[in-house]
Amino acid sequence: MQNIYQPDKVKIIKIKKLSHDVKLFRLATPKLITKPAFATLRRGDGGLAFIPGQFVLAGIFGYGEAPFGPSSSPYKDSHIDIIVRKAGTVTTALHGLKEGSEIFLRGPYGNGFPIDFMKKKDVVMVTGGCGIPPIAALTEYIIKNRDKFGNVYLIYGAKKPDDLLLKDKLKEWEKDIKVMLTIDEPCEEWKRCVGWVSDLVSDVKIDHKNAVCAMCGPGPMMKAIEKVVRPLGISDRRIFVNMERKMQCGVGKCQHCTTGDKYVCKDGPVFNFDEIDKNWD
Amino acid sequence: MKTIIEKKQIKEWLEELKKDFKVFDVRKSVLPAKQYLFPTKEKTFVFNNKSGELKTPENNKKDFIVFGLDLEDLEAMTQLDEIMNTPEPDFFYWQRREKSILVGLVDYSKDILPGGDIVLQKINKNQYKIRVLTEKGEQIRKSKFFKKTEDLKIKEYKKEKCEFKKLLLDPELLHDAVKWSKDLKIWDELGEKCLGCGNCTYVCPICHCFSIEDRVGLDGKTCTRCRYWDACTLPEFGEVTGPPTPKGEFRRASGHNFHKTIKERYYNWYYHKFVRAYKEYGKAQCVDCGRCHRYCPAGIDIEEVVIEICKTYISQTK
Repeated sequence: MQNIYQPDKVKIIKIKKLSHDVKLFRLATPKLITKPAFATLRRGDGGLAFIPGQFVLAGIFGYGEAPFGPSSSPYKDSHIDIIVRKAGTVTTALHGLKEGSEIFLRGPYGNGFPIDFMKKKDVVMVTGGCGIPPIAALTEYIIKNRDKFGNVYLIYGAKKPDDLLLKDKLKEWEKDIKVMLTIDEPCEEWKRCVGWVSDLVSDVKIDHKNAVCAMCGPGPMMKAIEKVVRPLGISDRRIFVNMERKMQCGVGKCQHCTTGDKYVCKDGPVFNFDEIDKNWD
Repeated sequence: MKTIIEKKQIKEWLEELKKDFKVFDVRKSVLPAKQYLFPTKEKTFVFNNKSGELKTPENNKKDFIVFGLDLEDLEAMTQLDEIMNTPEPDFFYWQRREKSILVGLVDYSKDILPGGDIVLQKINKNQYKIRVLTEKGEQIRKSKFFKKTEDLKIKEYKKEKCEFKKLLLDPELLHDAVKWSKDLKIWDELGEKCLGCGNCTYVCPICHCFSIEDRVGLDGKTCTRCRYWDACTLPEFGEVTGPPTPKGEFRRASGHNFHKTIKERYYNWYYHKFVRAYKEYGKAQCVDCGRCHRYCPAGIDIEEVVIEICKTYISQTK
């Protein structure tokens, strides 16, 4: 019997500071790719290391494990990137590590964005702050297969300009897709959008009957649905939301990550919005 | 030919079994039989800080016996087996389960039994019939205390049918009622009453939620990853960006709790048992063993609560 909780040892090959409390960790993961397929691990066609939206559990012995959505291109099989905001026990410990340190990793788990369904459609990606990683992986996937998608927009908001992560990537992506940035409160150096405003909507040119929306982010994202996604005319069934809950086992047993009738770990983390909209928790 | 055992010889039979097996008697224990297959706390990995080696501890190489499960417990174990096999087999549970022989002791004379490996079924005041249900049960089917007989003196023992038992036969109604009841006043009252101690989940023979925790040895050389029973009524259950580090670098400023109030957490317990479980397995995760009521320090009678909710549901929707 396979021990489903067994993590693999991985090396941190690069650490990059993205903002005052966020760091990117590049993990060498040759083992992850060669691991025999786990039933809940649905590796995409064309040799994807993971499907954008899936998550991994990264852990340090003595501190615990926490879930992260990889942000690197799913086509890269030599490494994955995770983006970590210093917030709790595990993330604080991760921030204390140096390049060359070893941590433990298991996954990828869960269901990612429905990338095949999204093909031949216009795509609007909406995210905020630290919700960028799975959207970044999705963007990388779309850009690699750019001819298979229609108009693609990335709307990315944050509290302050400093909180917008992956700035160099955003510049790179702008060549292939339309990137729209917004911040919550006006500040002097910021010349672009402020807040989830209707300007964002008027700049998005999509065929709403043939468009999908991919989202990831904290509570304020609900506001983005009201102010941006719904006015675009995208139906709830075509809004795909990457959810977050407390995670312990990652494989649908421990009962921590439930939302209504669903488990975020094995039924999600990506859900149709109408699947979870009415959930009591 | 049937096999029977005299009631007064059961004790001697157990003594005989103890020579070859470890025997756990659950007849009077507060915690249900699940504790021997899914212990309150178990090591899942041991990490050696110096060598960087990761070891999975091997548990229970020898077969062991869990004795004295009643009808409800047997059913609960069958349900737990199913849960621990979905969607992937739980490594640590099955490591123990494969080595365990479940011995039922029931005073119920119907032929259909809900689970167990070997079951002692009461047929009259002094005798029990031996029923071997699985290959594992075969291992202990021979004993000098077992007698073969053609002539069974069978007295009918039936389970009394209470209202809640009948309700459990209609998991669909339970699902609909509990889901519908979310905004009823009863949850506010129960939220006030419930102490959030987690007792009901610990004594439940099916509840199986757990948390994972790392423990560092005093000498700092090894670290053990343990999993331990959690309870969905405890405040930490849905809390992220958890407790501060020993150095106090982090304070619970950004912490978020997905189930903040006792009311939400208490409702979640019912929601899991009657709503989510029905969606997953087609039945309620309750066998009416009565432990949760017996050991609730606030004296909440779960049966009563569910019956009341169902009645309100029926009267207000139909």
